[in-house]
Amino acid sequence: MLTKIHHVGIVVHSADEALKFYRDALGLPVTADKVIEDQGVRGVLLQIGNSEIELLEPTRDDTGVARFLASRGEGMHHICFESDDVAKELEAARQKGIELIDQAPRVGLAGMICFLHPRSNHGVLVEFATPIEGQHGH
Amino acid sequence: MDGIGATHIDHIVIASNDSGAVAETFRRNLGLEIKRTMTRPGTGAQLAFAKLQEVVLEFAGPPEPKPGEEVRARLWGLVLAVRDIRAAVERLRAFGCEVGEPKPAVQPGALIATVKTGTHGVPFALIQYDAIPPATGASA
Repeated sequence: MLTKIHHVGIVVHSADEALKFYRDALGLPVTADKVIEDQGVRGVLLQIGNSEIELLEPTRDDTGVARFLASRGEGMHHICFESDDVAKELEAARQKGIELIDQAPRVGLAGMICFLHPRSNHGVLVEFATPIEGQHGH
Repeated sequence: MDGIGATHIDHIVIASNDSGAVAETFRRNLGLEIKRTMTRPGTGAQLAFAKLQEVVLEFAGPPEPKPGEEVRARLWGLVLAVRDIRAAVERLRAFGCEVGEPKPAVQPGALIATVKTGTHGVPFALIQYDAIPPATGASA
């Protein structure tokens, strides 16, 4: 069961520049800031209420995030729904015939995560996440 | 005030050329309950709403979808709820952001202000609920 919006992902050219608005001007606290080497991104999570904003900066050019930035520019990239069992959500999506990006949950900045293919939701990239106990305040 | 005094993401806007179709897909695929639909006064835009805890998903589309056109949607913008919208606007202006004057929102009693620059590609607004006292109805 999807319980809340875990975060919205925003692709930016420079996380440091974007933090001047999202952290310094808005005053949102940073809860995680990590380079995920295999995905070629730096991800920064900022807390707001029960959700987070995730800034995504590509660290190399051969990734989906980099291609998104090159073709569309900065902006909203994906929406992540929190679930208490991401594997169950993924299987339910598979049973419904929804096209998947990830065939099995994997570790991401938000915990155990998986992505549905945007084609399944009219172009909107959807992520499911189950936070890992003790990870960045969840 | 700690930052702009933002309390939560109030809503996330998903723009499309057919809000009804997109809301139905999210209901079917993700199990979201579509709690309300409405026509935006003035523009005729068709809106549908789902809510997860404090965050509203707003599906927005034109008054009439074009027949036969492929349904396309995208994550469009964010609205943050704040405790004091005038103080929040002043703070963002002090940081060099261009911010519109707070004006009455569609939601009764609420004020909304658009942040026009500095958001890194995200259409962005602030909203304060209970910002306009309700009319008493008393007459002199």
